[in-house]
Amino acid sequence: MNKLQQELQQAALQRDTRRHFLQTCSTGLGAMALGSILGSCGSLFGRDEKVAASLANADYDPMAAPMDPRLSQFAPKAKRVIYIHMAGSPSQLELFDYKPELMKYNGKDCPQELLTGKKFAFIRGVPKMLGSTANFRQHGQSGAWISDYMPHLQTVADELTFIKSMHTDQFNHAPAQLLMHTGSARLGRPSMGSWVTYGLGSENDNLPGFIVLASGGKQPDAGKSVWGSGFLPTVYQGVQCRTDGDPVLYVSDPNGMPRDIRKQTIEAINQINQQEYEAAKDPEILTRISQYEMAFKMQTSVPDAMAISGEPQYILDAYGVDPKKGSFARNCLLARRLVERGVRFVQLFDWGWDTHGTSKDTSVDIGLQMKCKESDQAVAALINDLKQRGMLDDTLVVWGGEFGRTPMQENRDGQTQSFHGRDHHLDAFTVFMAGGGLKKGLSYGETDPIGYYAVKDKVHIHDLQATILHQMGFDHTKLTYHFQGRPFRLTDVAGKVVKGVIA
Amino acid sequence: MKARWLVMSATGAVVALSSFSLLGGFGEKVDFNTQVKPILNKSCITCHGGVKKASNFSLLFKEEAFAPAKSGHPAIVPGDADKSELIRRLTATDPDERMPLDGPPMKPEDIETLRKWIDQGAEWGDHWAYQTPETPSVPSVGTIWSRMGLTNHPETDWSTNEIDRFVIAKLHTTEAPGGGTLMPATIADKATLLRRVSLDLTGLPPTEAEASAFLHDASPRAYEKLVDRLLASPAFGEKWAGMWLDLARYADTKGYERDPGRSIWRYRDYLIKAFNSDKPYDQFLTEQLAGDLMPQATDEQFIATGFHRNTMNNDEGGTQDEEFRVASVIDRVNTTWDVFQGTTFGCVQCHSHPYDPFRHDEYYKYMAFFNNARDEDVTTDTPTLRFYKGADSAKLVQLRSFVQKTCPDRSRANAEARRVELLARTMEPKINSHDFDQHQNAALLDAKFFGIMDKGTARLKNVTLTGRTRLYLAWGTSAPDAQLTFRLDNPAGRVLATAMAPKTGNQWKDSVQVISLPNVAGRHTLFLSLNSPTKPKDWVMIKWVSFQPALAPQAEATLLSLLNTHPEQTPIMLDGQGDLARKTHVFTRGSWLTPGKEVQPDVPHSLPPMDVDGQKLPRNRLGLAQWMTRPDHPLTARVAVNRFWEQLFGTGLVETVEDMGTQGIQPTHRELLDWLATTFVQEDGWKMKALLKRIVLSSTYRQRSDVTKQLVREDPYNHYFARGPRVRLAAEQVRDQALVVSGLLSRKMYGPSVMPMQPDGIWQSPYSGESWVLAKGEDAHRRALYTYWKRTAPYPSMITFDSPSREFCQIRRLRTNTPLQALVTLNDPVYVEAAQRLADYMAIHGKTPAQQLQAGFHRLMLRELAPKKLAILTKLYQDTEVYYAQNPAEAGKLLASATASPKQAALTVTANAMMNLDEVITKD
Repeated sequence: MNKLQQELQQAALQRDTRRHFLQTCSTGLGAMALGSILGSCGSLFGRDEKVAASLANADYDPMAAPMDPRLSQFAPKAKRVIYIHMAGSPSQLELFDYKPELMKYNGKDCPQELLTGKKFAFIRGVPKMLGSTANFRQHGQSGAWISDYMPHLQTVADELTFIKSMHTDQFNHAPAQLLMHTGSARLGRPSMGSWVTYGLGSENDNLPGFIVLASGGKQPDAGKSVWGSGFLPTVYQGVQCRTDGDPVLYVSDPNGMPRDIRKQTIEAINQINQQEYEAAKDPEILTRISQYEMAFKMQTSVPDAMAISGEPQYILDAYGVDPKKGSFARNCLLARRLVERGVRFVQLFDWGWDTHGTSKDTSVDIGLQMKCKESDQAVAALINDLKQRGMLDDTLVVWGGEFGRTPMQENRDGQTQSFHGRDHHLDAFTVFMAGGGLKKGLSYGETDPIGYYAVKDKVHIHDLQATILHQMGFDHTKLTYHFQGRPFRLTDVAGKVVKGVIA
Repeated sequence: MKARWLVMSATGAVVALSSFSLLGGFGEKVDFNTQVKPILNKSCITCHGGVKKASNFSLLFKEEAFAPAKSGHPAIVPGDADKSELIRRLTATDPDERMPLDGPPMKPEDIETLRKWIDQGAEWGDHWAYQTPETPSVPSVGTIWSRMGLTNHPETDWSTNEIDRFVIAKLHTTEAPGGGTLMPATIADKATLLRRVSLDLTGLPPTEAEASAFLHDASPRAYEKLVDRLLASPAFGEKWAGMWLDLARYADTKGYERDPGRSIWRYRDYLIKAFNSDKPYDQFLTEQLAGDLMPQATDEQFIATGFHRNTMNNDEGGTQDEEFRVASVIDRVNTTWDVFQGTTFGCVQCHSHPYDPFRHDEYYKYMAFFNNARDEDVTTDTPTLRFYKGADSAKLVQLRSFVQKTCPDRSRANAEARRVELLARTMEPKINSHDFDQHQNAALLDAKFFGIMDKGTARLKNVTLTGRTRLYLAWGTSAPDAQLTFRLDNPAGRVLATAMAPKTGNQWKDSVQVISLPNVAGRHTLFLSLNSPTKPKDWVMIKWVSFQPALAPQAEATLLSLLNTHPEQTPIMLDGQGDLARKTHVFTRGSWLTPGKEVQPDVPHSLPPMDVDGQKLPRNRLGLAQWMTRPDHPLTARVAVNRFWEQLFGTGLVETVEDMGTQGIQPTHRELLDWLATTFVQEDGWKMKALLKRIVLSSTYRQRSDVTKQLVREDPYNHYFARGPRVRLAAEQVRDQALVVSGLLSRKMYGPSVMPMQPDGIWQSPYSGESWVLAKGEDAHRRALYTYWKRTAPYPSMITFDSPSREFCQIRRLRTNTPLQALVTLNDPVYVEAAQRLADYMAIHGKTPAQQLQAGFHRLMLRELAPKKLAILTKLYQDTEVYYAQNPAEAGKLLASATASPKQAALTVTANAMMNLDEVITKD
């Protein structure tokens, strides 16, 4: 290992606590912040040079420039993540977890042993079993089971890594979404994207390191906490971009204020704030300086990244994007544009997968197929597109909901419903991933013959999180932050890396 | 057993000793609360606690911990660790036996602590926050001579009141950062203090007149006089009402999917008036929880109960009213605990509290206090208080006095008059038509109200008819000749009454009618049937029915005419009696669909009982409020003072304002907290202004907030108060300050919420025809707390600055610092307009650019701009002026005026920059 490498690692180790940040932040950031404003817009340095250049400074402290790129703990397989969250939770039994045995029990009463001691969101009394409403076939050389609800995904089967033995602790949307993204079902913990940005900084000075795009007409049930930074410094929280109007609210300068004047304004603000910092020593001022820099840069880079008008027609067609409308497909394309520009973590939320069967739109046959139709092509296109650009190998794509759905038909209030639906289920669901150094064409883990419990190679939410962090180059037990007297981490006190899925 | 601080003051140093360390012999005595409980909570209680009781062993309650476990033996043998299964299991080598099972072994030092604790007798302790606070003695500072005024001592000189002495004493303890070496900061300069205390007490920067009055007042009491003026300012109530709106989850919409409007702004106005009139906190609490139950409740007291009518209401089609009624009741329980008791009670809904001493059924006993409320998730949001105007108001007065005078039973005259008045004001008691069942040719239309067609039938269970010879009915239809029949006891039973449905145009429009009933005694089930031959498919909709005693005909007519008006209304709490009283059951595993045993209203056993010294409190919300405000209540006053402290300092004495329990962050200054709490009750009589005044007069509050490197290193979060507060302004303050300094702010108070400028496309509720209608005139520039609050799409710049969405109560706002905030204050048209107006002010308050910049900065910060900063802004001004001189059209666009001058444009840009300075959006 050469000396530079060692230095880089030592520097990376220094970032452990905010306290450390506070001790040393006065030494370098001021000059760096001012020196770098706008300077890096023209990419004077590549990122590696910038890391090296910052290390040449003896006083360099990674946390002093919280968004500067940093090395992970070990060589990463994935440099960025696109996390596609199907909010509401799609039915694994209609999509990936093929259970011919379940068909045999279709319409029969659920055995009492599956109900005793269980709590469901809506199922009451004794529900009926519900066989899959979809047709399944195996696809690709890997022979992955993917139902006909997702014809496009079938074509990329050999790129995918399925985990069919996922399980969670929470069966209501908001807490389950929080658990999935923050490692805790309660409010207040940093989200996965925040942890990753905290660990790695941003590769792009002009865009947030962690961007969120939502579709489906609503925000996730758990609200913006699923991309919050919890107790981590707030620079690490996800920034939501809108698909209509200004992509980010107030990103446009006022009428009659040209860019150059805006630039001078922000420079003046930051110079004065720097003086204020020297007097008051409040580290929040330094954060504010970097936020104003970022705001300025976002004003050009966000509209640029979000403008899909430059994309060729064949790309728009591949994703199925109507350039005039916000949609999940458009968000997939935007995700690619964002990771291309160095955004570390792109989080997509698509609302409307909560297929209880209370109406046509929420049935596992008609409604779920509609949601698949809206999204299947774009997900497959995203995977192909990343592959063609040579980015799939080091981009980890994750697709899944916050829990699974029951092999029983939902009987809300004890009554059979007119549409086929499934209740929330925490004991078994499927997540698939692509790229990012995982084994391609793998189906990992199994559920029992009716898909009720994960039985083989079970993977808990914390295990999935540990694995994602591992691919990003982090030991999840060591990516910690000291808060309230103890080190906190994404995986709380649990989590094992799922070695079986790693290439 | 309770730890006590013995304060030794001779040298000014304070040494903390726990009383039992004086016992000697055993060495240090282990304290259950601070040493043992955290270990149990961390390592054991997940499996042996409120959620799970593995092997029938739980460490949550004392009696459980010492009871025989599944093995038949207790796991803890007090006085003998070696005989205790708990210790054996923790140290076992067999992985199947060793605890924590499947986890890493407990740290040896933790095991040692538990061992010692058991050997010392395993004394159980109750968490401090659930014990009635005692007034701690105030530490002395300085020397005995300086305290007598004979010599000077910096600490005696520095401290103003008791708060300061607690703070200094704590700074000197060895546990304090720097091992007790930190010193408090000096008092901030007048301008800083003026801005700080104005923002804190009124939410607004001071007016120029106020600034001038204070800055030129050289008297020693100048600051106190300023504080008194601010406390008396109408803006005071607006600021603190703003804080309370988060707690009350106030919004102008009902929430959930459709999120339609709700008119409940009178509750917001109640808060403003309550704070401004310095309503004592105990009364403030009681009115909000139980105003409707107070004797001869006033309008104001009814409106105050809007606190718990801010729960969400689901108007979505297909949703069950009962489900969301229960959700509201549960939210009221949780919110009451969050807001007034600083305890997360929500988890007790499904099981005993995992960490704190609350049992599962205690949740439902507590819920029983709230379960009788008449609101049932009906789309009309009833019950409401109706505000009759003009002639209708006079009619009501006449009606009341007529009933009072003509009541044959004189002893009941007042009660009868009150009953009729309440019926007119609240349309209660009534039975909502979603209670009808056994529908045939009938249905709940849009899952809201009962509809019935020709040949339709339905049932209404258990109605007491004794003495009730009048049926009030709110109903309507488009069908002519639709006749409704009520039968007694069975579908073919005796006809009680028939009536023709009023043709109101369509069934959704109703008219209130009154039908005479024969004298029937007892409680009966009624059967409805409809005969509607002309338009058999047209719906007849019934919204509610009410069975009432008869009145004199003229009184009945007056009442009916009042009930058929549509005055303004506001949602209130009102309890059901008789047929409408509900039973409360434990919900098995928290689900309302699986009711368990019935429970009666009561408070948890780990807190003082409701009845003491022979004084019995009523088992309703009023009794509950009286219990909460009794001086021996351990939580109410502590939680209140902690909240006010947090508002002023940015962090509470207990940082987790929402949780004082064992899972909360333990207080750094518990003695100060207890002293403030007991003083608040005993000396201040719960007066919030007195409490606030005490805090803001302290030297602790008035310290400089700039910090030294040592302070940043030793106490980054200022837990020990060796400096003053320096925090970013709250969302409301950011906006209000911009409006004040630009002269745009309207001081208009009260009334319906307003819709100031907002980007398009923010409101996206499905099935809702409502839209953002831009406010006109001064309403476009009201204080932020008057901004219309839509739960699913709150005002964006408020959210960006960390306002919660107010779906549920939010006790504490976390402060973030993001680029999106910068974009708001840089580019939001609201802030651009403010910059234009501030530029106007600058133009007339200086001749040279430097003077103008100074004037603008002074308007913002009440002090001079330092030369270096002035130089930076001057350069910005000059460069900008050159640009606009060359590009006059751009200046025109910026100022939206054809005659815009380059100077004015440059001043606007500079003003915009100034309003974005860190010091400007920070309270320092």
